[in-house]
Amino acid sequence: MSKPPQSPLRQRATGFWQPELIGIVILIAAMYLMPSVLVDDFLISKYSRYLVFGLLAMALSLSWGYGGILNLGQALPFGLGSYCMAMALKLRTIPVQTGADGLPDFMVWNNVQQLPWFWVPFYSMTFAIVAGIVVPSALMGGLGWFMFRGRVTGVFVAITTLAMLVVVNLLIIDQQQYTGGFNGITDLAQLTIGGIVFDAYNRTTFYLIASVASVVLVFGYVLSCTKFGLILQAIRDQEGRVQYFGYDVASYKITVMAISAAIAGLAGMLYTIVMEFASPTFLNVPLSLSVVIWCAVGGRGSLPGAFVGAVLVTGMQGALSESKTFLDTWTLVMGVLFVLVVLFLPSGLAGLIGQLLAKIRPGDGHGQNGTVDVKSSHPKEIA
Amino acid sequence: MHFVLEQVLTGLSIGSILLLVALGLSIIYGTIGVINLAHGEFIMLGAYAAWALKTYVGLSLLPGLVLIFLGVGLFGWLVERILLRRLYRRPLDTILATWGVGVVLQQVVRLTAGGDLRYVELPPSMASSVSIFGVEIAAYRIFIFVVAALLFLVSWSIMNRTTFGLKLRAVVQDRNVASCFGINADRIYSLTFAYGAGLAGLAGAIVSPLKSVSPEMGTGYVVDAFMVVVLGGVQSLFGTVISAFALGEVTGVIAFLQNDTIAKATVLILIISVIRFRPQGLFVAKVRA
Amino acid sequence: MSTHLVVRDLAVSFNGFMAVNGLDLTINKGELRCLIGPNGAGKTTCLDLICGKVKPTAGSVVFDGKHLETLEEYMIARSGVGRKFQVPSVFRELTVRQNLEVAYCRKPGVWTNLMRGPQNDDTAGLEDLCGFVDLIDQMEAPAAYLSHGQTQWLEIALLMAQNAELILMDEPTAGMTVQETRKTAEIFNRLKGRHTLIVVEHDMGFVKEIGDSISVMHQGKLLAEGSVRDIETNPLVREAYLGSGGFGHA
Repeated sequence: MSKPPQSPLRQRATGFWQPELIGIVILIAAMYLMPSVLVDDFLISKYSRYLVFGLLAMALSLSWGYGGILNLGQALPFGLGSYCMAMALKLRTIPVQTGADGLPDFMVWNNVQQLPWFWVPFYSMTFAIVAGIVVPSALMGGLGWFMFRGRVTGVFVAITTLAMLVVVNLLIIDQQQYTGGFNGITDLAQLTIGGIVFDAYNRTTFYLIASVASVVLVFGYVLSCTKFGLILQAIRDQEGRVQYFGYDVASYKITVMAISAAIAGLAGMLYTIVMEFASPTFLNVPLSLSVVIWCAVGGRGSLPGAFVGAVLVTGMQGALSESKTFLDTWTLVMGVLFVLVVLFLPSGLAGLIGQLLAKIRPGDGHGQNGTVDVKSSHPKEIA
Repeated sequence: MHFVLEQVLTGLSIGSILLLVALGLSIIYGTIGVINLAHGEFIMLGAYAAWALKTYVGLSLLPGLVLIFLGVGLFGWLVERILLRRLYRRPLDTILATWGVGVVLQQVVRLTAGGDLRYVELPPSMASSVSIFGVEIAAYRIFIFVVAALLFLVSWSIMNRTTFGLKLRAVVQDRNVASCFGINADRIYSLTFAYGAGLAGLAGAIVSPLKSVSPEMGTGYVVDAFMVVVLGGVQSLFGTVISAFALGEVTGVIAFLQNDTIAKATVLILIISVIRFRPQGLFVAKVRA
Repeated sequence: MSTHLVVRDLAVSFNGFMAVNGLDLTINKGELRCLIGPNGAGKTTCLDLICGKVKPTAGSVVFDGKHLETLEEYMIARSGVGRKFQVPSVFRELTVRQNLEVAYCRKPGVWTNLMRGPQNDDTAGLEDLCGFVDLIDQMEAPAAYLSHGQTQWLEIALLMAQNAELILMDEPTAGMTVQETRKTAEIFNRLKGRHTLIVVEHDMGFVKEIGDSISVMHQGKLLAEGSVRDIETNPLVREAYLGSGGFGHA
C-alpha cells in the first residue's frame, strides 16, 4: 500500500530555506554574471531570449507542477502579451514606415482606412503594458472558469487549452487587416522608458529581462509558500478530496491559471522587445508543446528547475541551429530525451538533483530552520 | 436537388475518411484510456509505407495494405510494450510520452525519407469516376467509403462477438478482477493497442493517394480523429461512426459557406463546448452519475 | 437533544436503478448513528447524497435548518459536514503536517490564502491531534510513507482538524487490526457528543462498542431503527441479512 511517491522534490517541508529557494538564488546570480562571460552583444541578445523562455516555462510550472493543470495552450497568453507590446511599438514607429495618419503599414496594404478602435488605446505605453498582463490573464482565467466550473479535468483540460490556442492562432492569421496575418507585426520602434532605450542588441534589454525574471521567480516562490500554494498541491494530489474540506477547488484552479497567464503575458512582451517583432508563431502549437518539454525536462514541480530546463533546451537548440541537419538531429534527440524524462524522471533535472543531494547528506536530518528533513528522517516503508 | 446530393456525397466522402482515421484512436482511447498523440504519426507511417513499398519494392497500394497493417501494428505493439505499459498509472503522462513518440517518428522520417512531399499513385483500376444520379464521384472515394464501413464492422465484431472482445471488455471494466479470472490483461492491452495502430497505418495508406505525403501530415489527422472521438463519446464505436459522418457533413457545408479557417475554428469551438457541456459525447446516453 | 440532520424521502436513480429510494433519517445533535445493512443497501450512496458527491433525484437533506441537496460539495463542507471515504484518501505527496493544515480550513477563500503562510494559527492543536492518533513521529513524513492503518488514522485526524459538526464515516475500520479497531472505537467515543456522527460499518462488534442507535438500510430504504438489542432481535433485519448471506461479522 505505502509505495513511496516518485518525486521526492515535490514534497517540501514548511521551512523557508528550501532547496527551491537556494536554487532560485543561484539562478539569479548566474543570470547577472552571464554578461561578464558573454562579451558579444549578439550572444547576449540570444541569451536574453532563452531567459524569456525560462520565464514562460516557470509560469507553466506554477499551473502544471503545483496545480496539476496540464495547460497545453501556454503559448496563448505568451503570444497575446507579445502582440500587445508589438501594437504599442508599432504605433511608435517613425512615420516613414507607417501609412497616412500613422496607420500601420500592413493596414494600408489591406485598405484599412482608419485605425481600429481596439488599437487606439495602445498609443499609451502604460496601457499596453497593463494590457499585456491583464488581457492574457483574463482570457486564460475565463477559459479556466469555463472549464473548471463545468468540472472539466485531466486530459480534457489539455485538449481544451490546445484547441483554444489553435482557434486564436487561426483568427489572428485570418484577420490580417488588423493583425498583420502570417507576417505578424514587424518594423517596430524600440521601447523607451524614462529616456532609457531598450535596444534588442543592447545590455539594457538584457538587464530588463534578467530583472523581471528575478522578481517573478521570487514572486513565484513566495506564492508557492503561501497556504494557497499548499492547497494547490493538495488539489494536484487528490482533487476530489479538497472540496470536502470546504475549498472551492475551481476558484483555486482559475486563479492559478490567471496568475500563470499573467506571467506568460509578461514574458511575451519581453519577447517582442528582444525579437523586435510579433508573429503568429509566438502562439502556435509547436511552441506551446515545447514549453511543456522544457518544463518536464527541468522539473515541472520546481520553479527554478523549469526555468533552467527552458534555458538549457533552447540554448542547445540555438547552438545547433546553424545547420539544418544538426537541428533535425537535435529535434530527434530532444524527442527521445523527452520520452525518457517522462518515463524515468517525472520530476525532471530538479528531481534528479534533489535525489543526489539526499544521497550526499543522508545523516543531516535538520534543515536550517530546525525543520526535519522529509527525505532522510524516515525509512522508506513504515508498514 | 443536384446540388444537395453533391453536398451530401462530399460530406459522406469526408466522413468516411474521418471514420477511417478515427477508428484506431477511438478503440485505443475507449478501451485502454490512452490518448495516443502519436496516432497521427502512425497514419503518416502508413502513408510512407505505401510510398516506400511502391518505390522500392514495386508493390502497388492494394496488395500492400495487409503488410502495412501488420507493420504499423507491430510498431504499435512495441510502443505499448516498451513505453505505455509503464505509464498506465499516470494518464496525463501518456499524452506527453505519446506526443514525444510522435516527434521522434516525424524526425526519423524527415531524416531518412527527406522532408519533401511524396506522392502515392491511385490504383489504376480506381482512377475512373462513377455517376450517382448525375453526380460524378471518384471511384476511389467509394472504395474508401466501403473500406471504412468494412473496418468498422470488423472492429465492432471483434469487440462484441469474439472471446477476445469479451476479455477486453472485462479488462476495461476492472483490470484487477479480470486478471484474477485468469485473463492476461497485459497481453490484451498490447494487442488492442497494436490493432488500433494497425488501423491508423491502414488509414494512412488508403488516404495517401488523395493527399500529399509529408512528415508533418499526421498533425492534422490526429486533431480530426480526436474531434470525432470526443463528439462521438468515448467507448462507443457507434458514436464514432455517427460523429464521423456528422462532422463530415458539417465541415463540408461550413467550408462551402465560409472559408476554411472559419470552418476549422468553428469545429474547434464546437469540440470545446462538447467537452464542457456533454463530456460523455453527443451521441451517447448518459451512463452513470 | 435537538435534531441536527433530517433526511426526507431521499431518492437517487442511476440510469433507472434506484440506489436510494425514499429514505428517511433523523439524527440528533451529538448522536453517533451507525448505518448498517447488507451489501448494496445504499449506505455509501446515502453518505454521498448527504455530502453532495451525488445529487439526489428527489427528497431533501436538511442540516441545521439548511437545505443541502442543491449545494455544491464545498458549500456543504463549509456548512459543517465532513466525510471520510471508504478508500482512504489523503494527500500522499504532502507531509502529515501539511495534510492537517489543508484540512484545518477556517478561511477557505482564495484571496485570504494567497496572503498567508501555510502555517495555521493553531499549530499546537494540530500537534495534539497527531499525538492523539499516534502520528507525532510521522508529522514531517509524506503521507505516502504511512501504513494502511496509519493512513486511516490520518484521515480521521483530518476530519478532527476540519472540526466538522457532522462527520460521515464510511467503514472506518476496514483493513484494521484488532488493536487498531479498538483504538478507533476509543476515538469515536471521544468524538461522540461534541460532533454528530454517521458511521457506516459492517463489523457488528465495533458497532456494539460505539453505537447508541442503529439504522438498518435495505434496498435503498430504511428497514429498522433502534438500539443494538432491538436490531439484533428484529425479525425483519434477520430476514434481510439472511437473504443476502447472513450477518456480516468482519
